[in-house]
Order: sequence, then C-alpha cells, then structure tokens
Amino acid sequence: MMIREELCVGCGRCQPYCPTVAIRYDGLKSIIDQDICYECSTCLRAAHCPVDAICESPNVFDHPRDLRRHFSDPASRHVATGIEGRGTEETKSGDVTRRLPPGKVGIAIEVGRPNLGMSLRDVQKITRAIARAGIHKIEPCNPIHSMLADEATGDLKPELLGERVLSAIIEIEMEKGQIRSILKTLKEVAREVDSVFCIDCFMVVEPGIEIPGDVLEEIRAEGLSWRPNAKINMGLGRAWE
Amino acid sequence: MTHSLHREGTLESLEKDYVLFVYPARGFNYKGSAPKVRRLVELLYLAGPVNMCVTTLRRNMYSGVKPEEVLESIKVEGARVFSVFDSREKVKDALIRIKQADEGISIMVSGVTDSVRELSAELGIEPYMINLSLGVHGRTDLLPPPDIREFTTMCGHGVVSPNLVRDVIRRVRAGKVTEWDGSVIIAEPCACGIYNPVRSAELLREKAPLYAVDRW
Repeated sequence: MMIREELCVGCGRCQPYCPTVAIRYDGLKSIIDQDICYECSTCLRAAHCPVDAICESPNVFDHPRDLRRHFSDPASRHVATGIEGRGTEETKSGDVTRRLPPGKVGIAIEVGRPNLGMSLRDVQKITRAIARAGIHKIEPCNPIHSMLADEATGDLKPELLGERVLSAIIEIEMEKGQIRSILKTLKEVAREVDSVFCIDCFMVVEPGIEIPGDVLEEIRAEGLSWRPNAKINMGLGRAWE
Repeated sequence: MTHSLHREGTLESLEKDYVLFVYPARGFNYKGSAPKVRRLVELLYLAGPVNMCVTTLRRNMYSGVKPEEVLESIKVEGARVFSVFDSREKVKDALIRIKQADEGISIMVSGVTDSVRELSAELGIEPYMINLSLGVHGRTDLLPPPDIREFTTMCGHGVVSPNLVRDVIRRVRAGKVTEWDGSVIIAEPCACGIYNPVRSAELLREKAPLYAVDRW
C-alpha cells in the first residue's frame, strides 16, 4: 500500500489501523514503510482516508511481493488454492470431504498469529523442523506447499524468503503416535523464530464430542493443554457431486 | 477463520461469543449450493446474529448493507458465510433452524466446547470433528497485552490492529464515541465479519476506565 504524498493532509487517521505499524509520520505527512507493509489493504478498506490518499503499491502483484497480499488480505483469493484465506477448508468441511480419516490427527501451525505476522525465513525454520522430525508431507492443498523447494528438507524457494506475511497456515497429518514428537519439535522451534505461532490439533471425534483419550494424553505428556473453546464441525454436511 | 478457536477471554465472556460458519466443499457439494446457502443465510438472520458476512459481498452487518442485498448477491456456487452470535440461546436457535432445513452444507461452530457439547445433545446433533487450540508459542513477549488480545483475537486474520483498539479506548475515555460505536469502528477491518461488537462493547465498558492513554 502507498500514501500519495501530494494528497496526504497529515491527519494520521490511517495510522492506528495498520496491524503492523507500517504507517508513520515522515515530517508532516503519513508514509507507509514498504519493507514492513503486509499489503493487507486494511488501511485502504477501513481507515476512510478523508482525501483518498491511500492507494495500491504499483508492485503489489509482482512476484514474490504478491505473496504478501495473498497471505495477508483476507479478501484475496490465493493463486495457489483458488480460495480466499491462508489455509485450506480443513475441518470446516471435513464431514463432507472426509479428508482426515478417523484415527489420524491433523496439526495446523498458524504462523504469525495472533497479531504479529512473520517473515518467510521464520516460516522456513518451522517447515525445516517438521521435516527433520520426519514429516515430509505438508498438505498439498495448502498454499505453503506451493512455496516449498524441497519437501524432504522443508526448504522454501529461496527467492521468497525476503517476504513477510500477516498469517499463513502449515497443515500436516500424522498418526496419533507421532503427536508428541511433533509437539516437542514445535516447542523447540518456538525458541528460534522471531514471532509467534498458534498450534491447532484437529481430529474426528466420538459421539458426544468425545475427544480420543490417547490424543489428549499425548498433548498432556508434552506439557501442553488446550483452550476451553474450540472449533467444531457439526456433522450436518453431505456430498452430492 | 481457522483462528476462531483461539479467541481469548474469560469463560463468562466467551459464553457470549459463538462463531458459526456455513461452508460448501469444493468438489463435493459446490454445485447447486447457491440456493441452499441463500436459504441458510435467511435462517441465520432470523436467529439474530450480531455480525455476519457472505463472501459474495464481503461487507459486514454494520457496513450499511441490507439483508436483501446480501441474499441477492448469493448467486455463485460455493459462497461461504461467517456469522457470530452473542449467546448460546441464539446459536441454538440458529442450529435448530439449520437442522430442520437439512440443506447438507457443512456447519462449523466455534465456542466453549462444553456448551457446544450440551446444545448438540439437546438438539440431537452428532458433531464430526473438533479443532483444539494448543496455545500461542514463540516470541509471546512481542504480543500486545492479554486485555487488548481479547479484542484483536475476535478477528482471526489479525487485521484488527492493537493500536486501533487502543485508539478507540482513548476515544471512549474522552467521551468522543460510545462503547457501541467504538466497537463498530474496531469491527470494520475484520473482512470476515466474525468480530463480535456486542462482546466488544462490554469489554470496552469494562476496560476503558482502567486505561490512561495519551495517544493510542
């Protein structure tokens, strides 16, 4: 995003809207730091600039900068998946797709969330750590998959590493017995990254939203716990295509 | 949207915050989904959401968009709906209507697990999957404080800025906006429409007096 200097009246109204504090005063006018900007469009969409000084950067769709837009603007349709959002439909339509079979567990690593965003160099630290832990298959429908140079090592394409995204999701699938080792790996890589990530753990439940006890035991064994609120697929969907 | 399981706050506050998604699945029930999604949106309106957004318009309930415009926009296959309710009773009402309609589109509810478990049992619904939050890891020292995150985590994509929340707190304290108007301002960047302005207004009432904010 950019602010047209010739139009800006320096009111500063747009500044608090930026999730990454990329908008600041330069003299009497607001400017957007192009290195920091995630291209999320929040300033353009919500800040209601009184003189319409906010506009798109001319290079927003140049690769690899376009990744900032695709991963950071919730309304942007991702080129790699054809859907809006940073991840896949994962649990949201799991009752219809049955993508995750009963007995297996999905882990999603929501990088940069909440609030901070993340450099793709830090994303690579996580994909490499996962690969070292023996998971060499990142969900192919997920946009992160298209950014991998080598699935065996978790290396991302080097030309992408200078970019930053407000959020992205790394999705992996595993046997229940692998959960503890992956969680241990994620706790270790958490000490290396210069941002934050959330961990999601999803699975098919037994009647009454009964969570498989062996999964909970694996989570507890790694010293982690789960929040009292969760996202639940209500099982009301069906396939007809 | 995935992030709706990471909404932060007290249990009492989270009991006033239930997110409901309507989600057709590409390649499984996309074709023919438009009239079904449209019908489900009609039913959601009847249950009284405090915010809602359909991907065909990407405008939340406080943007000035009328229900008939929202419904009229749902012509393409695969439209998805994001909504939020401020009580267990309202989300239960929505689920009763959705179950009766039996349109066959996936429905997700994010909320307090025990409460969703209870209301599922009451309605005879058998949920299929759960997505648990195992918390935030890494440089948590860089995060805004927990009371600001209670606002910002209501937007899963992180486009509600902590500084906007602080700015609105300052304006509420200065008497320039009401808690409700301030909440509508904070809700605007959330392009998915799952920011809960009712809960947000309560949070502003509770927290604004505790802040001494000069700028942001």
